[in-house]
Amino acid sequence: MVFSHGFGCDQNMWRFVAPAFEDRYRTILFDHIGAGGSDLSAYDVEKYATLDGYAEDIIELSRELGVKGGVFVGHSVSAMIGVLAARKAPELFDKLVLVGPSPRYIDEDGYVGGFSEAQIHELLEFLDSNYMGWSQAMAPTIMGNPDRPELGEELTNSFCATDPEIAKRFARATFLSDNRADLAGFGIRSLILQCSNDVIAPQAVGEYVHAQLPNSELVIMQASGHCPNLSAPEETVAAIQAFL
Amino acid sequence: MTKDLRDLQDLFDNAPCGYLSADAGGRITRANQTLAAWLGYEREQLVGMRFQDLLNIAGKIYYETHFAPLLRMQGYFHEVALDLACPNGKSFPVLVNAVERRDEAGGLEFIRITVFNASDRRRYEHELLEARRMAETASTELRLLNANLESKVDEAVKERLAAEDALRQAQKMEAIGQLTGGVAHDFNNLLTVIMGGIETVERQLTELPPSRATERIERSAAMALHGAQRAATLTARLLAFSRRQALAPKPVEAGRLVTGLAELLQRTLGETITLETVTGAGLWRTLVDPGELENSLVNLAVNARDAMPDGGRLTIETSNASLDDAYVQALAEPVAPGQYVLVAVSDTGAGMDAVTLERVFEPFFTTKEVGKGTGLGLSQVYGFVRQTGGHIQIYSELGEGTTVKIYLPRFEGTAGTEEARESHPGKLHGGDETVLLVEDHDDLRAYSAGVLRELGYTVIEAGTGAEALALFGEHDEIDVLFTDVVLPDGMDGRRLADEAARRRPGLKVLFTTGYTRNAIVHNGRLDAGVNLISKPFTYVDLAVKIRRVLDMEA
Repeated sequence: MVFSHGFGCDQNMWRFVAPAFEDRYRTILFDHIGAGGSDLSAYDVEKYATLDGYAEDIIELSRELGVKGGVFVGHSVSAMIGVLAARKAPELFDKLVLVGPSPRYIDEDGYVGGFSEAQIHELLEFLDSNYMGWSQAMAPTIMGNPDRPELGEELTNSFCATDPEIAKRFARATFLSDNRADLAGFGIRSLILQCSNDVIAPQAVGEYVHAQLPNSELVIMQASGHCPNLSAPEETVAAIQAFL
Repeated sequence: MTKDLRDLQDLFDNAPCGYLSADAGGRITRANQTLAAWLGYEREQLVGMRFQDLLNIAGKIYYETHFAPLLRMQGYFHEVALDLACPNGKSFPVLVNAVERRDEAGGLEFIRITVFNASDRRRYEHELLEARRMAETASTELRLLNANLESKVDEAVKERLAAEDALRQAQKMEAIGQLTGGVAHDFNNLLTVIMGGIETVERQLTELPPSRATERIERSAAMALHGAQRAATLTARLLAFSRRQALAPKPVEAGRLVTGLAELLQRTLGETITLETVTGAGLWRTLVDPGELENSLVNLAVNARDAMPDGGRLTIETSNASLDDAYVQALAEPVAPGQYVLVAVSDTGAGMDAVTLERVFEPFFTTKEVGKGTGLGLSQVYGFVRQTGGHIQIYSELGEGTTVKIYLPRFEGTAGTEEARESHPGKLHGGDETVLLVEDHDDLRAYSAGVLRELGYTVIEAGTGAEALALFGEHDEIDVLFTDVVLPDGMDGRRLADEAARRRPGLKVLFTTGYTRNAIVHNGRLDAGVNLISKPFTYVDLAVKIRRVLDMEA
């Protein structure tokens, strides 16, 4: 069971969900390039300019670990990365869990992505100009929170993207992506977990994905926001278990 | 409300930072006045909004994808730089801290969000980034400069050496010019005396009955005069080289001048060399001393003849030409870009090598054997061309031939073209007017006075300007002032003439000069209205000139 985090975090975002499946599955968690403890020097501007580069990584990693007929759990943009990987290497996964997926974030005629083109460009411009302030927040030093002693050493600078340049480019690749065409004819059984009030992947998008994927189930969750695996882990685990 | 509560309320509301309480979903349950004021909302309006709704689009997205998870994962986030989006459209930079507050059971009570005004900090950040960017640019430029430094230094040194070379050459020419000019001046004075003396002998001879003795004397006198004339030509060349010869430029049609000279040139060249003249159509006129141009062409013809001992061809072409900026900038000497008349003299002779070419304009430089050729011909041409404001260029290849290109500035005025040179009148006219003769060279003064008296004039002599003025005051009847330009004791001929003219307006003045760097001659040209007779002058020259000056309208 391969867990793939999305834009903005690293594998730690699965810490409340993955353990629930450890008894039945070999759970595999990893950090995408540029996140967590990944090797930043392996970043290639051209390879990772689109999501295909990230899909390549999943294929390579899964094959290396001998994954066959497994389960892919992808959050946010990783959901689409998983679809791309499964299309190219269908032997890897039998089932996909797509948490807050979106094949395209920018609105178009007849398609609701959730953002206008102007908004996405404002985002990218803002990242270009202000990232210095954010990169410090992206690497917070843990100062010993007495309320949460269990977090300890694991949660150090690795949480949230470490390299501002890579993060900027990942944002670009994510929010300018358009993989709607990759949904058509994708026959592998898929679960779509859609949160209410998700600004990043609004309900209309979840419904669109469900309509495009012939072999899919759509679950509208009670949890709100974009990361139900963090804000409502029990509901998330239950939904996945029911699907599996 | 109790006093304590009111105190706490005041503390909360007017804190130096913005305070928010939010529920687990991020919805605001309480906000303080400070934050409300920054945004431009009422406190009550904020209740029920989500914190991310207060942010710009980037903040909204990143809150959902980064900060909310961060808060969830570790229970807080510190010092996140965000921009509040105020309803009036303005952007308010802030630093946000958030922390989850849990009860004893670990359940989430509320989220405390603290907001600091980060306007200053944002500004500093921008300045810092800008400074860093500029430093990086400067550093890159410095590295590039360093990389190029060696080659740049090399280039600069080469340029410097070339410039110094050119300057040295020019200075050498200048020094030689000054030297030769000084010598020539003295020679001219002496030559005038010598030639005058010989002419007097010849004149006296005509009054003696012819005999074998007189024939012999005549022959000797003729030879001596011939020698003196050649010496005069020589000093003229030296003066031309030192650029101190007075030129009398006139508008000239160079093609016609060349054609008119063709017969003389052919005689100079001899039978084994063919002369061809080519005149360009629509040839512009040029302002040049025609006599000097003819001299130059003769010089070049002589050189060509000597380069073709077994015969050959000489071609003289005239055409219009333009010298552009690119061409003149590559020259060592200053030449103005513009339109020129080109006179090109080409031969099929032995040619010159590069070493010879470099020195070819130097006076006294010659490739000919001792006794053949003075080495002054080309230097005279060079001096004349430069003084005329032109440019001369020589192309030569060993075994092929040589082309000398003379560029003379185009003349666009409307003055008439001088076609033929003046010839002397058949009869000499004397006169009985009074001449004030000023000349510091005693022999020359005696000679000039003798000539003038012979012609019938009354001559009053002075050796200095001061003497002349004194005499001028004493003699009302002076008709013409005949003075050397260069005089000793602080008053030169020009000043003398000005002072005399001031006392007697309309006074006629004839200047003489052999050494022409002086007040009246600018760049070798005569001021309009100034009468000048060059040394050395013959008896006839002086007679004609003084008569002409006296005959001028006042």
